[in-house]
Amino acid sequence: MDLAEANNLEAAGMAGPPAKSRAPARRHEHQRGYVLHTYPYSETSLIVETYTREHGRVPMVAKGAKRPGSALRGALMQFQPVAFSWSGKNDLRSLTQAEWIGGLPGLAGDALFCGFYLNELLLKLLARDDAHERLFDCYEAALLALGGGGEEAGVLRGFERELLREIGYALNLTHEADSSIAIVAEGRYVYHPERGARRLEAREHPDFEISGRTLLELDTGVYSTPQTAMQAKLLMRLLLNHQLNGRALATRQIFTELQQL
Amino acid sequence: MSKSLEFLTEALRRLPGVGPKSAQRMAFHLLQHDREGADMLSRALHQAVSAVHHCALCNTFTEEDVCDTCNDEQRDRRLLCVVETPADQLMIEQTLTYKGLYFVLMGRLSPLDGIGPKDIHLEKLVARAADGLVTEVVLATNFTNEGEATAHYISEMLKARGIAVSRLARGVPVGGELEYVDPGTLAQALQDRRDT
Repeated sequence: MDLAEANNLEAAGMAGPPAKSRAPARRHEHQRGYVLHTYPYSETSLIVETYTREHGRVPMVAKGAKRPGSALRGALMQFQPVAFSWSGKNDLRSLTQAEWIGGLPGLAGDALFCGFYLNELLLKLLARDDAHERLFDCYEAALLALGGGGEEAGVLRGFERELLREIGYALNLTHEADSSIAIVAEGRYVYHPERGARRLEAREHPDFEISGRTLLELDTGVYSTPQTAMQAKLLMRLLLNHQLNGRALATRQIFTELQQL
Repeated sequence: MSKSLEFLTEALRRLPGVGPKSAQRMAFHLLQHDREGADMLSRALHQAVSAVHHCALCNTFTEEDVCDTCNDEQRDRRLLCVVETPADQLMIEQTLTYKGLYFVLMGRLSPLDGIGPKDIHLEKLVARAADGLVTEVVLATNFTNEGEATAHYISEMLKARGIAVSRLARGVPVGGELEYVDPGTLAQALQDRRDT
């Protein structure tokens, strides 16, 4: 393995001594899933980060996928459902077949960038080999909505919230932290990533305060003003950053650079 | 292993697809069986690194300020074709149907790999397309999601500056029999169908 490959493995989170694998050795056939990202691996192969409905995130080697005329070329595209077959039980499984299923409109323009963002969130926040069927369905619904020209911010907030819930950080948007006191639309709050919302005293002015209305609207997913939509975005960013633990999101950075052009 | 040999092995490993074993084999081969070749390689590398740089107009590799293609008087200066790599440019040349000029990005936007607008010379492209002679920019980036994202942003940037932009068509390949075309391509061909 050369340096570039080692870097790719590291980028894929597969560096270091192989962990004792929990995955069974048997073959898996025709599993519905998506390509999240691919990395070059040797002159002719790819490492494919897949996200499947029944097995969660599964990394695979697609041998010969970079050869001219490889049947895998058209199939290993992001944002299109694919039927994956693979074998092996190591950290890196062997892709044996990938079939294009289709049926989704495909992403274009800004929606395409939103798709890259969703993929990066899944790559950075979801553990390997853990099935998250509900999140998978949510991902698929998000792609469908983005491809159909759905309102992007709303789709992203809904997915971010579901992702946090799946990794064990469900948001409490209707009640104050550790209490049964309901959030009121007119109230001012501060949101602690692990505990939840706390109502602010009149004299308190933290760096990032959030209105009760925003919390309630984030809960329903329907935003009445651009201000609440923006606050919801900033709150989700704060919570995701907390989970990312200092790791930056490349898609967010590049999207900002593109907006400046 | 001697210091120089180690240094050479390390240097060879910087080539794509070359691991420690291959690098060692190459180093031994050059020193043992082909010293003349080693000397040639060293001189060629040195010369290329000092002489080759990006063309001021199209961004491809050249030894002059402006490359031969950009200097060619026969070419149509109203057309500018944007490609990802010099290899892509070569393919378009081989079609013998395009007589305009080029801009080579030397990459594509790839958000998950952290490759952004600064890495693909978008500002240079905008300046190039706004020379007053170009009337149409043809986007010939790849039909991958990354290539599409690249095409989308270039198109937005150029259209905002009043420059006409077109994108390569896609669909069933020449001589393609529908029975054997992959369904993804066929789906795109249906979506992008046109009046006859």
